[in-house]
Amino acid sequence: MRKLSSVKGFLSRFFPVRLVLPMAALLLLSGMAAAAPAPLAEKIAVFPTAPFYIYIVYESLVVFWLFIIGLLVIIRMKLREIERVHAMGADKDDPGAPLLQ
Amino acid sequence: MNCPRLKEWLEERYDLEGMKRLAKSKLIPEHRYDLWYYTGGITLFLFIIQFLTGMLLAFYYVPHIDFAHKSIIEIVTKLNMGWFFRSLHHWGAQLTIVFLFIHLFGTLLLKSYRKPRELVWVTGFILLGISIFFGLSGYLLLWDERAFAAVRVATGGAGAFPFIGGFIKAFLRGSMDVTGDTLLRFYAFHVAILPILTLGLIGLHILLVQHHGMSVPLSLQAEKRREIPFFPNVFYKDLAIWLVITGVLVTLTVFLPPEIGVKADPLAPPPENVKPEWYFLFLMETLKLFPGVILGMNGETIAIMLVAAAILFFFLIPFFDRKSALGEKSPLFTWIGVIYLLYFLTMTAVGFLS
Repeated sequence: MRKLSSVKGFLSRFFPVRLVLPMAALLLLSGMAAAAPAPLAEKIAVFPTAPFYIYIVYESLVVFWLFIIGLLVIIRMKLREIERVHAMGADKDDPGAPLLQ
Repeated sequence: MNCPRLKEWLEERYDLEGMKRLAKSKLIPEHRYDLWYYTGGITLFLFIIQFLTGMLLAFYYVPHIDFAHKSIIEIVTKLNMGWFFRSLHHWGAQLTIVFLFIHLFGTLLLKSYRKPRELVWVTGFILLGISIFFGLSGYLLLWDERAFAAVRVATGGAGAFPFIGGFIKAFLRGSMDVTGDTLLRFYAFHVAILPILTLGLIGLHILLVQHHGMSVPLSLQAEKRREIPFFPNVFYKDLAIWLVITGVLVTLTVFLPPEIGVKADPLAPPPENVKPEWYFLFLMETLKLFPGVILGMNGETIAIMLVAAAILFFFLIPFFDRKSALGEKSPLFTWIGVIYLLYFLTMTAVGFLS
């Protein structure tokens, strides 16, 4: 540890350590900028970009699916009822039934 | 809602009770393959969605090379819910073609085309062709560089057809290359000519299905089966399936809105790795299999002719399959159907991955 701290002290005398990180970042950025391809044309937003609007869209989608599931349950119940009525034969006209009027 | 006076008014003029009796008397066979019956209804439902969303988009779209691309950007970015209806139209088109293919291959493998239903197959097949042309013409309306390049390749490919290729290419493009004339022509096809043809053919197709009744697979004809009334049993099942399809469609619409590329520039080189819509990928991969010159002839022309012959054979299958017309099993045509399906799926997958 002593050895390490002495190296650090030696370095700080000639090359201030606190400048290393900003310089490295600068070098990295300049390298990336040189290697980067030409800027692409701006991408057209095909979906709302405002966070509030995005939230509304996703929320509406969830409500829409709940609505669909609800309707599916109702249709299933209705189909069961129809099948039960068919099985009982209650949907067939009875010619011998008395007329109420 | 009960409106007795309106009911009375209508009943005086039309036989409503007779219509009700007819709907109730229409019976649908119930068996283990009856799920295939619903694919036709799903396609019809998707066509209706396409018509409605297309009408909404047509209010704002401008079919001119200077404004087409801009008008779509405005629909998506400035109009309230414009992005939603454009995305809905896009995904509706994709799903329509998916279900048309499912309906087609289901009909083929269950031999529902057999005598006396040949014309049902013919009208359905033409509807598939029209839908694919709907897709191609709609794709160009975006007028971005990918759509431009894809239509240039597609119309160029049609030009390789011997004798009439030049005429088809000129007819589609309206000029020597893909230009503003092509855009206007495709717009006319997309919003006027094809919808009228589609409406007429859908009407005829449904009328023929009503006339012949639902087809029962050959393997189940001897079995004793139950029949259920179309109204209300099958109608409610149809409604349930349509609801699920609507949910899937809206989910795709929200999560995967289609991108808009850079505006087309006829003088710019085509972008790299341009791919057509997915239903053309098998065709593109097939064309790639052929060398440029075969026995001194143009390889592309030979490839186009072979593909056209294969499609023509597919179209005429009900007239070739004599066995199933006589009520006998015809495994040869089942295998032909399976080979067509596998080829289509494999080549489409290869096209996606390449």
